[in-house]
Amino acid sequence: MTIKKFINTVLFVEILKGMALTFKMMLSKPVTIQYPDEKRKIYPGFRGMHAFVRDPKTGRQKCIMCMKCVNICPSQCITLKKGRDENNKPFLEQYDIEALRCIYCGYCVEVCPVCALVLTERYEYSAYSKQDIYFDKNRLLKNWDDYAATLSGDTYWNKFWRPDGIDSSKMPKSKREQAPVSLKPVLASPYVPASDKSTAAKVAAPDADIQESKEAKKEAE
Amino acid sequence: MDFSSAYQITGSGLADFVVRMILLLIKIAVVIVIAMLHVAYSTWFERKIIGHMQIRLGPMRVGPHGLLQPFADFIKLFFKEDIIPSAGDRLVFQAAPMIALFATVSALAVIPFFDDFVIANVNVGLLYLFAMSSLSAYGIILAGWSSNSKYAFLGGLRSSAQVISYEIALALSLVGIMMLSGSLNLVDIVEAQQKHWYGMFVVIQFPAYILFLICAFAETNRTPFDLPEAESELVAGYFVEYSGMRFALFFLGEYIAMIIMSCIAVTCFLGGWTLPPIVIQALPFLAFVPGIVWFLLKVYCHLFLYYWVRATVPRFRYDHLMSLGWKVLIPVSLANIVITAIVKYAF
Repeated sequence: MTIKKFINTVLFVEILKGMALTFKMMLSKPVTIQYPDEKRKIYPGFRGMHAFVRDPKTGRQKCIMCMKCVNICPSQCITLKKGRDENNKPFLEQYDIEALRCIYCGYCVEVCPVCALVLTERYEYSAYSKQDIYFDKNRLLKNWDDYAATLSGDTYWNKFWRPDGIDSSKMPKSKREQAPVSLKPVLASPYVPASDKSTAAKVAAPDADIQESKEAKKEAE
Repeated sequence: MDFSSAYQITGSGLADFVVRMILLLIKIAVVIVIAMLHVAYSTWFERKIIGHMQIRLGPMRVGPHGLLQPFADFIKLFFKEDIIPSAGDRLVFQAAPMIALFATVSALAVIPFFDDFVIANVNVGLLYLFAMSSLSAYGIILAGWSSNSKYAFLGGLRSSAQVISYEIALALSLVGIMMLSGSLNLVDIVEAQQKHWYGMFVVIQFPAYILFLICAFAETNRTPFDLPEAESELVAGYFVEYSGMRFALFFLGEYIAMIIMSCIAVTCFLGGWTLPPIVIQALPFLAFVPGIVWFLLKVYCHLFLYYWVRATVPRFRYDHLMSLGWKVLIPVSLANIVITAIVKYAF
């Protein structure tokens, strides 16, 4: 033990240095964010509550039942069921996201060829029952409506719809042609296709869905 | 307290005795209530201080700035289930927290809080304090043994070893004070300090003061000597098996022990409720401030030191703890005694 080391030990030099540091820290501003009172700023790319984008043209979701999101989901929390109506046209019978199992990786958003899905910036949706966090397709559309109501501006674009660093020529054509979703022209009444008069009653329910537009499907292919 | 007249139980003597007893009881009640409030708020103070030292806020939710947090904690602990291990020694298990708490609380009796306010002005005050602080270790050891759990048992064993090691250095560090003041009575010790212009024995007994502080940390099982309750290896140490009110008793005991150690340090080294005469001469208006203010201020500074050290220093390894106690602190305190004796004899 050198003399210097001995003196340092006797005079508690290192302990006093540490104590000076903690004292300095005590006088600095705490980093705590008192959550319910003050909220953290949300940065672009935040991945929160799931939603189906409501297509301003049709008033329904854009899903074309390609199953890509179901296949890519690492936690396998998406259930998709394709149904056929009496005219043998495919329609989205069931689309469920079990949000409690979701890991919010955003792969489903990235892979969707028509940008139908989005992880919104809402994160305060804890609930007392599991059922309330189990999103079916109607709930997903409602999530979008709730979220869109909080947005300012005319259009919405999610950065995960066309992720950075991926050559856009490798994306499907439909994905390349996606434009930011218009938020303004919200349809006063749900769109009823002329060919589906017989099922008008079903369509009239705001979130009901009978069939997907064939154009969207063609674009995807 | 002079009890000599209390034995004449005739006529006015009896009435006098009753009045004295009632006054004494009121005094005790006041001291204990104030001590309990201090414990409650020293936990709040500790959480706040350590929080800010870790750049957090500490409790903020219950009341403004978390001021009602101690009461929320108390209510929670009070209504928790009281679990007694089936394989444990039931009677000892129930007695241990009370031994720990009562031994520490009874040490409050001899501490002079301010001029003429001391419950029992006994001539062996300092000796009594040592006795009580080692008695509280019995509570810890018995708790560790009666829980019939390996963690609690190890915690109790460590505590007994630690108390034996550091009790000696603690007592030896105060021998210098006894020699300088010529008394074990705490009031006399404070008055002896007033005879010097500096008014505080810490000036001439600085090494003893540092020794005392180190031993006080070890004696109260506080960081960096909190091996009996090292949560990373012993879960919680000797009170692993305790829950609810019984846990709260240990908790109270620990914090009262901290307050008492601060009180001893203030009384023996920092002039108790008095200010140094040189300060009073320079600023005469300070003489009108009640003594309890200075006493409490000094105690709060020591409590802050406890928390400050806890937020800074990591825990000692067990063999380091033992070698520090036996190979460093005891020799240094003995050397301090010898030097003090020589200097006192020479001058």
